[in-house]
Amino acid sequence: MNSEIWLGLLAGTAFGFVIQRVGASSAQKMARAHLMLEGDIPRFMLMAVILSAIGLFGLQLGGVDNTRVLPTSLVATGVAGILFGIGWGFCGYCPGTTWAAVGEGRLDAVFALLGGLAGAAVFSHFHETLIPLLYGPTNIGQVSLGGWLGSQLAGLVLLVALFGLCIWLIGRLWGRRDDA
Amino acid sequence: MAPEKERPRYWPWLPAAFALAGVIVFIFATFGPPASSSGFVSTLKGALQPLAPAYVAGKDHYVMMPDQGSWLFAFVLGMAIGGFIAGRTSQLPIEDVPPIWQKRFGPGRWKRFAATFAGGFMILFAARLAGGCTLGLFISGSTQLAVSGLYFGVVIFAFAMLTARLVYKTSAGGQK
Repeated sequence: MNSEIWLGLLAGTAFGFVIQRVGASSAQKMARAHLMLEGDIPRFMLMAVILSAIGLFGLQLGGVDNTRVLPTSLVATGVAGILFGIGWGFCGYCPGTTWAAVGEGRLDAVFALLGGLAGAAVFSHFHETLIPLLYGPTNIGQVSLGGWLGSQLAGLVLLVALFGLCIWLIGRLWGRRDDA
Repeated sequence: MAPEKERPRYWPWLPAAFALAGVIVFIFATFGPPASSSGFVSTLKGALQPLAPAYVAGKDHYVMMPDQGSWLFAFVLGMAIGGFIAGRTSQLPIEDVPPIWQKRFGPGRWKRFAATFAGGFMILFAARLAGGCTLGLFISGSTQLAVSGLYFGVVIFAFAMLTARLVYKTSAGGQK
């Protein structure tokens, strides 16, 4: 086995451990987050993005640049976001948390995983039809805040400000944490 | 309700965010943008390739993705291992049917399993259309300041919150 596999396994194990401990692999906690009853999971996610963006900026300054910005397709990204949001709100799992939840031994997550494999298989089957239909026409390319503002640092500052504002708002608007 | 001291505690969000960001930056340093919905495709490709090699070779979505001998598959497998270790070493509740779901739809396991199968189907179908999921598009993308990640993030949170309101038919407050 090459080192890539070991790196992936190590990173995945650490990632799965952290999201289990914060409660993101619990469909109960996720539903309560969506219902604005407790704000921990969304604040955790947004803060992790802020810190990761700062860390990635540091990596790039140091000459390590393994980035790959995905394109924005106004229609495909939007339609997919709507479908994804409905599925996420309905079952309380997203693709990554499903694996951690299966590892924990949650049976409903096993079915989410099986459903996910089926969904990925169906999409893969119709990729050749769906991508030109939904993705291609409104694809505006690999746009980023850094590109828009003409400076990676300015983009980072804007991201931190926006996400910081969201974290503050979630703290005000969402209910109190309750571990039951 | 229950006495405060006896309860197992989830990690507080702020230190947990530092921990997760450490993992994400490690991934950017050693691999590239992390993703998890791609791991589903790698799993399928690995399973289908020996059964139907011609089919897999003729489908763009499988051609563009590595099979199970890849970082992407190792990562999702690792997530299950991490979830297993974390679950076994903590007292946090692990249930097959979440209490909030039971309160609304009853304790029936198969109803819940059918629902999560359908939900899982939707999120993976959608993630493959968008090119990523909560991690691969929203978290990875936003970390790279990508507009696609921010746009996807706003839409998924809005629709998940709306859907949860409709599913659980509740307004905030009193709901346990």
